[in-house]
Amino acid sequence: MTGVVFVTSLLLALGAYGALTRRNAVAVVISLEIMMNAANLNLVAFSRLHTPELMTGQVFALLAIAVGACEAAVGLALILAVYRRYGTTDLDRINLLRG
Amino acid sequence: MSIPAPADILFWFFAAAAVGGAAYAVTSAHLIRSILAFGAFLTAVAGEYYLLAAEFVALVQIFVYVGGVLVLMLFALMLSTPGESQPSSLGRWSPAVGVTAVGVGAAIMIAAWHTPLPVVKEPAAGRLDHLGQALLGDHVVVFELVGVLLFAAVVTALVAVRGERR
Amino acid sequence: MSALFTFLWGFAMGVILLSLVGGFTAGFILVERKVSARMQMRIGPVHTGPHGLLQTVADMIKLMMKEDVRPARADRVAFNLGPLLTAVPAVMSFVVLPLGAGVVARDLNVGVLYFLAVPSISVVGLVMAGWASYDNYSFLGGLRAAAQFISYEIPRTLSVVGVVVVAGTLSTVRIMEVQTIPYAVLLPVGFVVYLITSVAELNRGPFDIPEAESEIVAGFHTEYSGLRWSLFFMAEYGGMFAASAFATVLFLGGGAGPLLPGFAWFWLKTLALVFVLMWVRWTLPRFRADQLMALAWKGLLPAALINLGLAFVVLFLVR
Repeated sequence: MTGVVFVTSLLLALGAYGALTRRNAVAVVISLEIMMNAANLNLVAFSRLHTPELMTGQVFALLAIAVGACEAAVGLALILAVYRRYGTTDLDRINLLRG
Repeated sequence: MSIPAPADILFWFFAAAAVGGAAYAVTSAHLIRSILAFGAFLTAVAGEYYLLAAEFVALVQIFVYVGGVLVLMLFALMLSTPGESQPSSLGRWSPAVGVTAVGVGAAIMIAAWHTPLPVVKEPAAGRLDHLGQALLGDHVVVFELVGVLLFAAVVTALVAVRGERR
Repeated sequence: MSALFTFLWGFAMGVILLSLVGGFTAGFILVERKVSARMQMRIGPVHTGPHGLLQTVADMIKLMMKEDVRPARADRVAFNLGPLLTAVPAVMSFVVLPLGAGVVARDLNVGVLYFLAVPSISVVGLVMAGWASYDNYSFLGGLRAAAQFISYEIPRTLSVVGVVVVAGTLSTVRIMEVQTIPYAVLLPVGFVVYLITSVAELNRGPFDIPEAESEIVAGFHTEYSGLRWSLFFMAEYGGMFAASAFATVLFLGGGAGPLLPGFAWFWLKTLALVFVLMWVRWTLPRFRADQLMALAWKGLLPAALINLGLAFVVLFLVR
């Protein structure tokens, strides 16, 4: 079971690296989804560890998948709106609020 | 050393596929390949769910993430990119972020190594029944709230994409 | 050692299913040509082999000998992956189909959900194929195909959920066993919605605007030739058989029937549904893209929801 935690922490690190580094907005959404999936995997694994009959981790993971899908949908809609307004999805160039 | 059980072999196979896919997805400059690697990552995670005796979650993962979110990302990418390949996408802060991410991941791994985790139990027999009863029994309020959230997300996405045309 | 045996058994099942789907494609292409010919008052292929039976074999040999053309500016990875991602989920969905009384590759306890979820991977393949061909018509065809697929996925899933509610199980073999009255009689709306959405999911029949030959050249598979093109058709014809078999298991009672063994009844019912799908294709004119979307969202989705409500009524009456 420590193997699962190793894998999920590695995925979390990769997702965090991508979310903080990438310039393209869609790539940032991808990295955020990678982090969410790592967390879900952890939830399901620990649910199997403690009380498999209660299935709490699996329920949590199902609802988190739904929430993650909402997040991706709204995020990508915003990206399309931003593209329409600024003509680019490069996050380094969308800096009108910079002081 | 004895031959590892096939469940273990499959587990490490899916784990390697997931980590490989995620690594390619966050580092590749070619965005379409990045999305395809993300698709491979999602399918590998679904395989892991299946190995952890969570078949329903595995199939919902394929249904929602591979069949929905991945397609959504492809659409968004194709409708928002002027060319087909982006210039190098690594910014100024990449080394610092990389070191920090590796540090956080290593910290979690060290913590997990030193924590005595309980032994894996056998999966429950009537799994689907338990899942249904849990979802619509103990956690029904959260279930309904997530339904409302999905509705709000659909409306938000429609409004955001429509823009100021009216 | 039993684990190794399970793995080899799974591998053998995979090979068998792949050959089965290949065989179905070859057979059904010929059947479709003959059926469509008779409906159009002509005869169809008669020269190759007795009564034209070797026509598909000849076509396969021709396709294998064709030059493998690829557009120069197409992204090679995506261009190669497109047909694979479209065809492989169609073959994968055969795993939970009981081809006969209880002869199933693997009786998953979430079999119905597996059958509904796995073909949704092929949307990615459609978009890849359309985009990677570096061609406006292909791209449009791919996007239209993807939009059509995901729109029709929802009524399809809801119509099947109605059956799952009445049967009380997600396993295909169990649904066949607990059907005393065929669910097509108890839930007719669901049956009709499932058939219509299956036709739409396969890009067939009146819903074939993504690959319409007279409107968009050949849609998302314009730039594909030879064996790659035949992969798309393996997806379509294999999927047609899978959808008919699934409808037989869920709605028509699988292998139930008076005189013949279960195996024979199952195949009779499935082939009858396949014939209905072919009949519909060559009879009805093509839907326009916006009519297609309107049908899915404004027609079939409410019908599937009503069917779900009726399913709960039926459940209350049956139990």
